[in-house]
Amino acid sequence: MSTHVKTVSSKGRKRRNNLIAYSFIAPNFIGFAVFTLVPILMAVGLSFMKWNGSAVQGPQFVGLANYAKLFTDSRFKQAFINTVIYTVATVPLTMITSLLLAVILNQKIFARNFFRTISFFPYVASLVAVAAVWNALFSPEKGPVNQVLRAIGISNPPGWAVDSNWAMATLILFSVWKNMGYYMIMYLAGLQSISPELYEAAGLDGANTVQKFRYVTLPQLGNTSFLVLIMVTIQCFKVYDVVLMITNAGPGTKTLVLVFHIYNVAFKQWDLGYASAISMVLFLMVLIVTIVQFRGEKKISN
Amino acid sequence: MNKLRKVTSLILAMSLSASVLAGCGNGSTESQASQASQAQASSQAGGQVKLVWALWDKDKTTYYQPLIDAYKEKNPNVTIEMKDLGSTDYQTALGTQLAGGDSGLDIITVKDVPGYAAMTNAGQLEDLTQYIKDNNIDLKKYGGITDQVTVDGKLYELPFRSDFWLLYYNKDLFDKAKVDYPTNDMTFEQYDALARKLVSGSGNDKTYGAHYHTWRSAVQLFGILDGKHTVLDYQDGYTWMKPYYEMVLKQQDDGVVMDYATLKTSSTHYSGVFENSSVAMMNMGSWFISTLMADNKAGKSTAKNFGIVKYPHAEGVEPGSTLATITGLAVASSSKNKEAALDFVKFASGEEGAVVVAKTGTIPAIMSDDVIEFITSMEGFPTDPNSKEALKTSHTYLEMPMNAKSAEVETALNDDHDAIMTKSISIDEGLKKMSEDVKAILG
Repeated sequence: MSTHVKTVSSKGRKRRNNLIAYSFIAPNFIGFAVFTLVPILMAVGLSFMKWNGSAVQGPQFVGLANYAKLFTDSRFKQAFINTVIYTVATVPLTMITSLLLAVILNQKIFARNFFRTISFFPYVASLVAVAAVWNALFSPEKGPVNQVLRAIGISNPPGWAVDSNWAMATLILFSVWKNMGYYMIMYLAGLQSISPELYEAAGLDGANTVQKFRYVTLPQLGNTSFLVLIMVTIQCFKVYDVVLMITNAGPGTKTLVLVFHIYNVAFKQWDLGYASAISMVLFLMVLIVTIVQFRGEKKISN
Repeated sequence: MNKLRKVTSLILAMSLSASVLAGCGNGSTESQASQASQAQASSQAGGQVKLVWALWDKDKTTYYQPLIDAYKEKNPNVTIEMKDLGSTDYQTALGTQLAGGDSGLDIITVKDVPGYAAMTNAGQLEDLTQYIKDNNIDLKKYGGITDQVTVDGKLYELPFRSDFWLLYYNKDLFDKAKVDYPTNDMTFEQYDALARKLVSGSGNDKTYGAHYHTWRSAVQLFGILDGKHTVLDYQDGYTWMKPYYEMVLKQQDDGVVMDYATLKTSSTHYSGVFENSSVAMMNMGSWFISTLMADNKAGKSTAKNFGIVKYPHAEGVEPGSTLATITGLAVASSSKNKEAALDFVKFASGEEGAVVVAKTGTIPAIMSDDVIEFITSMEGFPTDPNSKEALKTSHTYLEMPMNAKSAEVETALNDDHDAIMTKSISIDEGLKKMSEDVKAILG
């Protein structure tokens, strides 16, 4: 009898707790639903239609025509490949540099806070401003970087953002530099939550610095790394602003990425259906990569 | 429990990746909200009619307010509100406003041909053909340029400004180099030779012979001046652009002009290099006249002693053949005050409007002798007879001809121009790629 009463009341409490929780989520979720979820669903629908934004003609259902067009669109192919290259290069580089920075700046070095601030600065600074400075530094003829390179004997330094072989590399370098400070902060938080006792124990077992890093730090940072991995990956797939500022998708289409192409198709050529279809491809790419990453994480943590 | 975790992680994965798409959706929601508020704003009150005019650079442009004032003097019951949509993203902002019907806009400024094509395709502009007939508007006074934007016998805009390209030169630099000024009758060979004579100095004090802004129109459109080609003619592989790309790249290699790559990475504005006297000649649109005169007056420029001449021409082509862009006025098909809007468009694009525009030093679409007189007699306009003569054009060709897909073609041409100018691709391969790209769009 007494157990029965207890279950009822605990069930009631659970429901009440749930309601309270939902009510806390509601303001954010309603905003998300209205401004994000509904437009996303509309984009799914639009990807099967032809629409140039006109209210007079309205969207027309065209079935899979937009998806068929993907296979003949050479710009899409180029954008797809570029996005993959950019992501594959930027993700590991960002993770490695931000982890290294975090490890260094977690030690009690001289003027630690100053260096932490310096590393975080590119992330806080306005993209437009730092991109302009970056382009001035890396300007092919008069830029200081190439002048230094010439001074040390490299007679034909790369043209960076306007060199067809180097434009993508320039873009990747810039992105890594711009974002590493942000992920460094995440790694710093992760590092500080590692119990010092683990290092002490490892030290007693005779582990050296490299071994401590390999067998204590890295596994303990697993969750942080996973979060960083997912965030950087998604950020890379979504890249647009950096491309616009540094290379403007050039030279030619050498650094054209998917979002840039979507923007052009949607808001310059007003082919909203086709733009939505490309967005769906991007969405699927990110979804698949994220699911694979979740699976992988579960395997590792188990 | 395990299953629940699986589901939650899947949802998390989906919502994370969904954030990718969020950017694409937001625009339309915002514009709907702003449309609703504008629709209310443009409703009529009593006998008063309120028109909303979509335009860009409200504060920097000198002729909008005088046009409105002049019109209001004759039509006191009409108020016109300017809606500034910004210059860089004008067409995007405008397209978003017009999409979805009731935009609250009445008068639309048409900035370029791709934008015009996009809006006529979408049925967002009112067909003016019948109105033009009923009101006996003589299209001949626009010098044939309206024919180039007529679609299937229908015209949707009336030009109120017409800009054409000229060659600006810095007289002080010519005097210093002891070289004769350019003339209104120069071939491209003479122009190239002249540019080479004017190079002097080095480093930051270097004077360049000529200057090409990073726009594709500054280089590749030399090729359309013979009137035989438009940029849509991909069939012959764009070989007719080749001599001009060769000339410009050669000048670039020889240090006669600034390097495209440097200009692009430093986002150098053409007005800066001309106004600080680092270039002796520059091809640019006639819109630069009023900017240059204003900057000279304000002391921001050292190129006070400048002159203008007609565009150089190819052998056998009549001098005065040049590129043109028109800025037109149109009426939104969603407008609730079409009649009033049409009347304003008629006024602004007509003779009276032309005089108002000319008084601000800007070139109106109707070029009468009066208008030329107005502009050339303004303070700061070069006093030599050649500069005055330069304003008389013989043939004008649109930078981009009217086509339903001109926005797509524009993107492809810009990319390939960029690739050629940065030498990512050879001229021959670049032109071949250009013709393939355009063929894929139009063919």
